Amino acid sequence: MALSVELIRADVADVLGEDPADIPVDENLVDYGLDSVRIMSLIERWRREHDIAATFVDLAEQPAIEAWVKILGASA
Amino acid sequence: MRLTAAQSGMWFAQALDPGSPAQNTAECLEIHGPVDPSLFARTLRQVVSEADALRVRIIEGADGPQQLEVVEPTLPLKVRDLRAASDPDAEARAWMREDLATPFDLAAGPLFAHALFRVGDERWLWYQRVHHIVMDGFGYSLLARRTAEVYTALAAGEEPGESPFGRLADLVAEDTAYRASETYETDRRFWDGAFADRPDAPNLAGRTALPSRTFHRRSARLSPEATARLRESASSMRATWPEVLVAAQALYVSRATGSAEVVLGLPMMGRMGSVALRVPGMVMNVLPLRLTVTPQATFAELTRQVVLGIRAARRHQRYRYEDIRRDLGLLGEGRSLVGPLVNVMPFDYGLTFAGARTEAHNLSAGPVDDLTVNVYDRADGSGLRIDYDGNPALYEPDELGAHQARFMELLERIAETEPHTPLAEHTIARHAELTLVVDEFNATAHPVPPTTLIGPIEGQTVRTPDATALVFGDQDLTYAELNARANRLAHHLVEIGVHPGALAAVAVPRSLDLVITLLAVLKAGGAYLPLDPDYPADRLAYMLQDAGPACVIADRADRVPASGVPLVALDSLDTTPYGTYDPPRALTPHHPAYVIYTSGSTGRPKGVVVPHAAIDNRLRWMQAEYELAPGDRVLQKTPSGFDVSVWEFFWALRVGATLVVAEPGGHKDPAYLARVIREQDVTVCHFVPSMLQVFLSEPAAAGCKGLRHVFCSGEALPRETVREFGRVLDGVPLHNLYGPTEAAVDVTYHPCATDATGPVPIGKPVWNTRLYVLDAALQPCPPGVQGELYLAGTQLAAEYLGRPELTAARFVADPYGPPGTRMYRTGDLARWTEHGEIEYLGRTDHQVKLRGLRIELGEIEAELAADAAVGAASVLVREDRPGDQRLVGYVTPSDTGSVPDPEELRARLAGTLPDYMVPGAILVLDDFPLSPNGKLDRRALPAPSFEGSGDGGRVPSGHREETLTRLFAEILGVPQLGVDDAFFDLGGTSLLAARLVSRVRDTLGAELTIGTLFQAQTPAALAAHLDADHSEADHALDVLLPLRAGGDRTPLFAFHPAGGMSWCYSGLLSRLDPGQPVYGLQARGLHGEGELPSTMEEMAAEYVEALRAVRPHGPYRLLGWSVGGVLAHTVAVLLQEAGEEVELLALLDAYPSDQWRDAAVPEEADALGALLRMAGYDRTDELTREDVLATLQREGSALAGLPDRTLTAVLDIVVNNARLMREHDHRPFEGDALFFTAAAPRAEDWLTREAWAPYVSGSISNHDVDCLHPELTQPRRLDEVCAVLAARLKELDHA
Repeated sequence: MALSVELIRADVADVLGEDPADIPVDENLVDYGLDSVRIMSLIERWRREHDIAATFVDLAEQPAIEAWVKILGASA
Repeated sequence: MRLTAAQSGMWFAQALDPGSPAQNTAECLEIHGPVDPSLFARTLRQVVSEADALRVRIIEGADGPQQLEVVEPTLPLKVRDLRAASDPDAEARAWMREDLATPFDLAAGPLFAHALFRVGDERWLWYQRVHHIVMDGFGYSLLARRTAEVYTALAAGEEPGESPFGRLADLVAEDTAYRASETYETDRRFWDGAFADRPDAPNLAGRTALPSRTFHRRSARLSPEATARLRESASSMRATWPEVLVAAQALYVSRATGSAEVVLGLPMMGRMGSVALRVPGMVMNVLPLRLTVTPQATFAELTRQVVLGIRAARRHQRYRYEDIRRDLGLLGEGRSLVGPLVNVMPFDYGLTFAGARTEAHNLSAGPVDDLTVNVYDRADGSGLRIDYDGNPALYEPDELGAHQARFMELLERIAETEPHTPLAEHTIARHAELTLVVDEFNATAHPVPPTTLIGPIEGQTVRTPDATALVFGDQDLTYAELNARANRLAHHLVEIGVHPGALAAVAVPRSLDLVITLLAVLKAGGAYLPLDPDYPADRLAYMLQDAGPACVIADRADRVPASGVPLVALDSLDTTPYGTYDPPRALTPHHPAYVIYTSGSTGRPKGVVVPHAAIDNRLRWMQAEYELAPGDRVLQKTPSGFDVSVWEFFWALRVGATLVVAEPGGHKDPAYLARVIREQDVTVCHFVPSMLQVFLSEPAAAGCKGLRHVFCSGEALPRETVREFGRVLDGVPLHNLYGPTEAAVDVTYHPCATDATGPVPIGKPVWNTRLYVLDAALQPCPPGVQGELYLAGTQLAAEYLGRPELTAARFVADPYGPPGTRMYRTGDLARWTEHGEIEYLGRTDHQVKLRGLRIELGEIEAELAADAAVGAASVLVREDRPGDQRLVGYVTPSDTGSVPDPEELRARLAGTLPDYMVPGAILVLDDFPLSPNGKLDRRALPAPSFEGSGDGGRVPSGHREETLTRLFAEILGVPQLGVDDAFFDLGGTSLLAARLVSRVRDTLGAELTIGTLFQAQTPAALAAHLDADHSEADHALDVLLPLRAGGDRTPLFAFHPAGGMSWCYSGLLSRLDPGQPVYGLQARGLHGEGELPSTMEEMAAEYVEALRAVRPHGPYRLLGWSVGGVLAHTVAVLLQEAGEEVELLALLDAYPSDQWRDAAVPEEADALGALLRMAGYDRTDELTREDVLATLQREGSALAGLPDRTLTAVLDIVVNNARLMREHDHRPFEGDALFFTAAAPRAEDWLTREAWAPYVSGSISNHDVDCLHPELTQPRRLDEVCAVLAARLKELDHA
């Protein structure tokens, strides 16, 4: 299954321990508790389940869902 | 290019100790496979060329440090084949250790080094060392990854891909933009608010230290199973494993320090959303995380606190750690912002070099201030690696290992425990430690017969009726006589209602009758309640009313205040009608034996009810331990209201020995005690430690060698007293005992070794007694960790008389004993030693905190007592004005005959203790006031007086005046001063001035120099100065330095010594009349510009011009120390030749040029020594300018605040002056000279003031000061100099 905005959002919310509805797509996720360990666990999950190629640095550079959608080539 | 803020932090840290290798970071990558060294070198050259952030050197520019790119550095790479070595790995490790101890030269660069070792046919070690100022942990991972990538490509004959690295310029630009942004302000406010109360940051060592040049490391691994469980547990709490580790560390620190509040430091990579993600450079930051750890909270709740705390901190993570510390003013006080650091490095490389797998090993993660817990997650499934790095100044390797082992076991238990379990379930002690402290140390079970306090005495009477039982002065009684008299009185007491379970109060001064009465009460079956006749009447009345005894027995009727209680007055009682046989009574070991009142920390005194079984156990243990025998004589000198008296009264009588009763009041008189001990052949006695100190200083004490046992209890026994005991009473055993009234006198014992060091333990538990040192969760503390002391066993008191609630609060269920048993909460802080002894550490409820800082008064007292002139010392926190708490020290002189000097003592303490632990005042007393019990009576210690104008002065107007007034008072250690009180008049020294300037800088953020303080010496003047923003003006280095410009007297001009600076004369101000103006004359080259004078005459002529600017015509008053004396003389001659009058020429240990002519000219090395002496330090091993500057900075010298060019100028001036001194020709001065000789023997024994005779026409009146030349301007010496000088000035004023 390809990654979608909603899937990214759900997975992000999961590692942050928050409700997906509380995670905006256009804001800096660091303010919501995103850190390097959580990014790495997301990458691990997405490599396993979606075979993504993006690296830690790619995602950490622009820690927002909107930006990740482009990097990960997810469907809107 | 300038440094980023992150780099600046590192730069300052290095500048504090330029020769230190502590900023070295290093890593070793183990490569399992073939490596081509030349290909590897090529790889490194390429990676280095790509990483411009790595390739810099750092110089000090005019606007601070700058980094310069080094375009084509030579690659520092060492390649060695170690396969021939017996242990190639060990050889490589040794080389790395040595390399790691080599500091980088920041200005020279390069700031990295590589080595490649072949340690096996297919195994290589790649070592790299990088200065922390250019690289952090994440940067290392970028470098290593790129190196592997390039090597792999080259090995395959391919071109490596384009460099992935960002540029250093991007980092600097991003940093600059941040510091100008609104976010920066928001972040600053966030941290200001979060730490506004400036919390303590508890650490495991319990104290702080300057960073060392190296660190101790202990490595450990958490098993893969436990690691996996921790991960699962973390995800069940919606947390990450690093957050769980932080929570676990917080739990450990909280318990190990006994503090609910902890502050951990979290190193952060600081690169989220930043260009820095691609820059191998120094970006990381340390953020403080405040946590509250309570036993009731669950581990899941603590973890949640961690998650939310980190989340909040992360939003403001770019604000620098160093800046938070500065904003809070912690920098100036040398306080830490955080305790241990938890440094989690989740970046596993998992790299391959042309297919060869690798393992990374960190060797140094940078400087260790306190303790850093480094955690590495290795992807190879081997679990977490957890390194404990400790500052060697704070942790021995074993201590570090013990903390680590406990933490690892705690992690294992946390991994196995349901996270919603309260933290109280967790102990930090290891399983083996629990067994040790709960069971093995407390293996005290010993069978005792069910007897009472009195039974064995009656038994002894039957055995030795004719032995002497009691001696008082020239009276004595045999056992039979004593028994008969006690029995007669006992029968009377039975008649008036004394029976088992009833109380009888006893108000009889020390005498035969006192002992008879106590025995009589016990014989009647009653419990005695001692009423010390020395107590105030209302306290006695309160005790009678509170206890409600069946009767009160007094030697005469007016001994006690009138109460409803039936009175037995012994002087009017005839007991002859009563029988002399033991009265029958239904007494059991559970009945009360005595009730002693103790003053509670809060409110009214309370009666402690001690049953027979408790005190009987205590006396049986004592007999077994110390074996008192007939022929022994025990001195009874402790007042009966103090429970130590209980064993004194009854022990001897149970075993056929003799009790010698001291005169009333005699317990306070050391000469009397020494006499009684000698004359009455006393073999056993007791002292409260402070009374023991007094006793030992009594010359006759040395004659008391007949003593077999001396016991101490009641207060902490200082080690120094034990040593003194060994000197005075060599060979006499001294025992330290401890116990509250609530546990039958004593529960621990320790034989004192007079040659031991460290705190004197209170020792091991006595028979049938268990001791627990428990933390806030009532979990046992492992050895070495402090907690509250709890007592359990036979000796516990039954209750507080008539106070069931208080009893229930202090005597609680014993969770470690058999069901139904109780333990008593002492309120004492203690810890176990490894050998099963307890060390007493103070009171939980009297913990001293001053300005938020925890203070161990004992530590200050020990420092004071270490001074040879001090006999005994006591320090306390006084609050003589509400809200104004200050530390005050009290000392008594030692028997060396020298009198302690408060100023010197303060200087001594300032040298070894943090500022906040140096008492604002130290008072010298002849003797310490003692309470009726012989304990130090703290309330009777006098309040110090300070001379600030205090309330009388004008009230501060405005924030700055208010703040400055407070800071002045704080630094000067005076309770209060007025806005018009001058700093130097109140005893300010240049060292204190440096502190004040630093505090003002930290508090008001105002740039200020010491020179400003000379010009504006009062809070009001300084405030006005700051308001006018004159802060750039700095007259401190001008030729004419107005030390005190105001005043109506003829000014005194003081000429600089060899170094060219006149700050050393600031000490004159407080010692001369406030109306006496004082100007310093200083070398013109201090600003580091212009030529230095080529003759002494030229210099003097310039000073004449300078002083005429403020005083155009005479009379003149001139003074000079050292070279300054020669200058003063030369100036005096010039003035006289110009027709002016010179009315004072004062020479402070100065000698004319003739005497110096043939002496060798000093070289720079000597000049460096001179510079150190100017700052008041003796030279140790400083060899270079850098060494000297480092020493000055480390010691917080005022001189260290000077720009480098000034310090350099001073060195040049010293050398120049030495030359001019030797070339000068004196002409005669017409008049008298006042001379001060530094009279201690010196190396230059040819110097003599007689050499002035040809150049002074009048008399030379000399005053010897017992010190060396450099000490002449130190406070105590200046006192002597100024006594003479001030008198002379006064004469001149009235002439």
